[in-house]
Amino acid sequence: MLSSAKHQRNHRLSATNKNQTLTKVSSISSSSPSSSSSSSSTSSSSPLPSQDSQAQKRSLVTMEEVWNDINLASIHHLNRHSPHPQHNHEPRFRGQNHHNQNPNSIFQDFLKGSLNQEPAPTSQTTGSAPNGDSTTVTVLYSSPFPPPATVLSLNSGAGFEFLDNQDPLVTSNSNLHTHHHLSNAHAFNTSFEALVPSSSFGKKRGQDSNEGSGNRRHKRMIKNRESAARSRARKQAYTNELELEVAHLQAENARLKRQQDQLKMAAAIQQPKKNTLQRSSTAPF
Amino acid sequence: MSREIEPLIVGRVIGDVLEMFNPSVTMRVTFNSNTIVSNGHELAPSLLLSKPRVEIGGQDLRSFFTLIMMDPDAPSPSNPYMREYLHWMVTDIPGTTDASFGREIVRYETPKPVAGIHRYVFALFKQRGRQAVKAAPETRECFNTNAFSSYFGLSQPVAAVYFNAQRETAPRRRPSY
Repeated sequence: MLSSAKHQRNHRLSATNKNQTLTKVSSISSSSPSSSSSSSSTSSSSPLPSQDSQAQKRSLVTMEEVWNDINLASIHHLNRHSPHPQHNHEPRFRGQNHHNQNPNSIFQDFLKGSLNQEPAPTSQTTGSAPNGDSTTVTVLYSSPFPPPATVLSLNSGAGFEFLDNQDPLVTSNSNLHTHHHLSNAHAFNTSFEALVPSSSFGKKRGQDSNEGSGNRRHKRMIKNRESAARSRARKQAYTNELELEVAHLQAENARLKRQQDQLKMAAAIQQPKKNTLQRSSTAPF
Repeated sequence: MSREIEPLIVGRVIGDVLEMFNPSVTMRVTFNSNTIVSNGHELAPSLLLSKPRVEIGGQDLRSFFTLIMMDPDAPSPSNPYMREYLHWMVTDIPGTTDASFGREIVRYETPKPVAGIHRYVFALFKQRGRQAVKAAPETRECFNTNAFSSYFGLSQPVAAVYFNAQRETAPRRRPSY
């Protein structure tokens, strides 16, 4: 019973999503054809796993373009919300939906907003949610060339948050408000470090061994690079210290040489005097 | 920026452990009575068994200093989750003397670099007055020099030096410097 309700909602969502993406396509000139193709796959979103996987495959083909789109969208999103303070979530939330003035449809707007950020990936998760199958999230990260880390962190936050909002318990409006607070706080406060484990966990899960070994090799490569950088820094620091020591010793050497010269001069001046003194002292006898 | 602290910046001691500072007091750290520590040099762990002699400058006996020795690369430089590991802390060292005149509140622990090449940092802080450092840290691991010094009003360090050390049986690709 719950799942059927969810279905309904999902269909509704995907319909709104489609509209959104279509308007987005028409409004943003730089969007590639991939977004329209993904939205068409969304329109036929059904709980059948076979269609799901097909849609995934289709999205995988154009993964590069999808990521490009996400990149653009996230940049848009960032530019719009960067002036807001970090600790205040409510104004941020309002700011996100301020293009729509209807106060009763906040949840819908919020979903639209998050869908606007990343049209293709969230539509994928929407389609798969009725199966209770959350592994499709991993598909988002399984592209052989992972996107820049900042992009990943921004969009993965939104994606997981969206899954959170699929919770069937969230029905009443007051509930929605509190949930928004929490999920917003979660989405906007999670740093890249906090998201790394979840994304790598997603990578590990549901991948074949080939992918896993590649992953491990990649990790080792990163570690090796860090180690090499440390080694270079160590060497550079050591060289710097030696240079400093050389400069210091040269300065000291020059100073000592000067001192010696002065002493020699002084000795040269003193010598005849001493001689006369000696003579004078020996004179009385 | 004085050139003196350049090795500390390049060696990431300033950044990982300390903030930028202006060295204003001389400090000489000597292990085994004849091995003087200078930045970035490698010392064998067998040299480090007993605590070093640390002579400090400063104006007079009425100024007091706190010496902290720590390892920011524990347990291994690639995953330093214990950063910083506290090895030694001496407080109330009168100026122009050495660390043996101070109060040892964390006794010296011999460095044992198990994995990788570790940096061991000596940082000297000027105290506001005698017994400015009222409490010793409870644990050695996950020590934070910056937080500790600002908590007891020690502000920025006045001198710092670091050396490298690694396991003596560690494989070495080429003869070390």
